[in-house]
Amino acid sequence: MTMTLLAARDLRKTYRLGRVDVPVLRGATLSVSRGEWVAVLGASGSGKSTLLHLMGGLDRPDRKGGGSITYDGRPLDRIRSNDLDRYRAADVGFVFQFYHLLPEFTVLENVLAAAMILHGRFGFMRKRAALEGRARELLAAFGLPHRLGHRPAELSGGERQRVAIARALMNQPALLLADEPTGNLDRATGETIIAEVARLRERTGQTIVMVTHDPEVAARADRIVHLRDGRVGE
Amino acid sequence: MYQALLTRRYLTSKVMPLLAAVAVMLCVAMELIVWSVMGGFGDMLKNSGRALIGDVSITYQPRGFAHYDDLIARLEADPLVEAATPAIETAGFITLPQNRGQPIYLRGVDGPGYARVTNYAQSLWWKPLAQPMTKDTRREDPRLRPDYAARLREYEEAGLSLTLRRPEDPEPHAAVVLGIEIGHFNSRQPEGWYDPYLFLPGQDVMVYVIPTDSRNRPMDARGLNFPVANQVRSGLFEIDNSQVLIRLDALQRMLNMDEARRIAPGGSAGSFVRRVNPETGREEFVQPQEFVTDPARVTSVLVRGRGADQVPRLTAVKARTEAIYREFAAAHGDVPAAEEVEFETWRDKHATLIGAVEKETVLVMFIFGVISVTSIFLVLAIFWSMVSEKTRDVGILRAMGAGRAGVAWLWLRYGLIIGLVGAVLGGVAAYSVVWNINPIHDWLGRAFGIVVWDPRVYYFSEIPSVVVWWKAAIVLGGGALASIIGALIPAVKAANMDPVRSLRFE
Ligand SMILES: Nc1ncnc2c1ncn2[C@@H]1O[C@H](COP(=O)(O)OP(=O)(O)OP(=O)(O)O)[C@@H](O)[C@H]1O
Ligand SMILES: [Mg+2]
Repeated sequence: MTMTLLAARDLRKTYRLGRVDVPVLRGATLSVSRGEWVAVLGASGSGKSTLLHLMGGLDRPDRKGGGSITYDGRPLDRIRSNDLDRYRAADVGFVFQFYHLLPEFTVLENVLAAAMILHGRFGFMRKRAALEGRARELLAAFGLPHRLGHRPAELSGGERQRVAIARALMNQPALLLADEPTGNLDRATGETIIAEVARLRERTGQTIVMVTHDPEVAARADRIVHLRDGRVGE
Repeated sequence: MYQALLTRRYLTSKVMPLLAAVAVMLCVAMELIVWSVMGGFGDMLKNSGRALIGDVSITYQPRGFAHYDDLIARLEADPLVEAATPAIETAGFITLPQNRGQPIYLRGVDGPGYARVTNYAQSLWWKPLAQPMTKDTRREDPRLRPDYAARLREYEEAGLSLTLRRPEDPEPHAAVVLGIEIGHFNSRQPEGWYDPYLFLPGQDVMVYVIPTDSRNRPMDARGLNFPVANQVRSGLFEIDNSQVLIRLDALQRMLNMDEARRIAPGGSAGSFVRRVNPETGREEFVQPQEFVTDPARVTSVLVRGRGADQVPRLTAVKARTEAIYREFAAAHGDVPAAEEVEFETWRDKHATLIGAVEKETVLVMFIFGVISVTSIFLVLAIFWSMVSEKTRDVGILRAMGAGRAGVAWLWLRYGLIIGLVGAVLGGVAAYSVVWNINPIHDWLGRAFGIVVWDPRVYYFSEIPSVVVWWKAAIVLGGGALASIIGALIPAVKAANMDPVRSLRFE
């Protein structure tokens, strides 16, 4: 077991806008160790979300000269898309700025959905009781034991983000990727949530990569990196 | 798993896909109703056809053929044949009470034998009824009246035997049975029963026929008086309007087709004998003459096959009948060869009518099939907009690790369920409409004056309809399939969505 969980080397990602190539990442290199909390800072439009999507296997770097990205020795830029799906389901938990909960599902179902996707129909049915137990525990830990049957629309922003974090953690991923988790919340709520994440990390040693605008949030991390001109700097 | 849960939630929270289900339902219901009603119509037509001539008829017009008893014995010895009966078919004319008259189609039959080959017994109209006809809720049918029962029973027996015994006349009399519409003495009620304006059984009618000589040349018309024993209703208007049944032996006599003795040249051809003419005293060569017996003839033998309501079986019975006739013709020198004789099944006889109904069914099914294709596009349009609306959900699911196949299956499964719901609702709707088609039709008539199917005009008193399970299965399956096909393109679209873009989707 190496200390480095995720290593991105010389990542390049270019978007095409009509005929114009818009390079967003131009050789970003970042490695994340097990148990580390990395905060990514950067101006709006600097490519923070793009970097996070690449690390989370939601997108791939440029086909030619896009650099390499390995997770626990697995080359994410080269594995088959089925394996990438599996990687996202089992090893990564995403938290987004706009929560991204499924509006038709209840709070509990949103959290369980992650397990349904990972285990498949029969696997889920077999482990149903245990999985439901874990989902309830997580939601209780985030202070939502009484909102299990509610729809996301019935929750406040802070509550929604807690559900999203519980969902991200449902499958016990090694890597938690958070894209401005407090960006849409008022300062006080944001702080409580970050405090909860910090407490969780103390307990479990969760590896976290968190994109943020907020220097105070970033200050809680072990390490802060800046994304500037498509490259990562300290 | 998430697909099942999500489709359930989409189903209960979205109205649009339910519209897709309604579209599928309407198409399924429409197809099934049309197919069932047309199918029922076709079945009734076929049954009427069978009721008239049995399964296969052997016909040699107009002279007929002799030794038919032997032919019938040979036919009935065959395991494929249930019964066979002789008949004479000829044109005629009838004069009716009140100076009415009309050309008729005359069929000489042996009552009990005819009843074994056809559904004659069931189609006799004047007989006591225990239960009213389906639509006759007010029980107005005179056949229901207990005080008529005894007389009606007599007429039923008279109809079956084509023989009427009158109280004033000790001799039983060969009788005729008229199609129910002949002469318009009965008026058909909207409920399906007949109100006799003049009750014909017991009345005398005059039947005219034109016998032919041995070279098939028509001779002078011959008319005879017959009492009416009963009336018959096949369900085919043209038949009920023109057919008269008469006892076979009576018609044979009228047409000179009965057994007869005649004088014929004797000896072998060209053998002359010498004889002295008593008048002139001169010696002459003359051909000797002797009495010969001409056996009775009929123009047709009607055959009922075993289980011949299925077309392949019917064809087999026809082929067997032809083979048996060949043996029969070989055994008798004086009957027409098989090539000269016509072998027809009831389908052949009513080919135009049956063919028309079958073609009409295909055509209507085709038209409705094309209409049903619109349900595919409706599902497609609705699912396309659903997928667009739910783009973010697709992105979220992909971010959680759902694969493209899983996302595609989500929408296909949704389409399948919409299709199944629509198909089942459509099946239920069709079943209830078909089941109640006659009350619905009556109600349309009462409420809006729309009478599509006037029993006074059409063949049948009720709109015939049967929901056959395999038709229902095909139509319901087709509805569900249409929905899946409609969902296919949106499903592929959803599967091919870029997850990052989907997440950015506002
Ligand atoms: N699909 C796309 N097509 C074209 N350009 C894109 C696409 N996605 C992102 N971009 C561009 O890439 C750049 C980086 O986007 P990204 O969302 O990664 O920035 P960010 O650092 O997360 O910004 P913010 O802080 O506002 O979230 C932006 O200029 C954006 O316009
Ligand atoms: Mg961003």
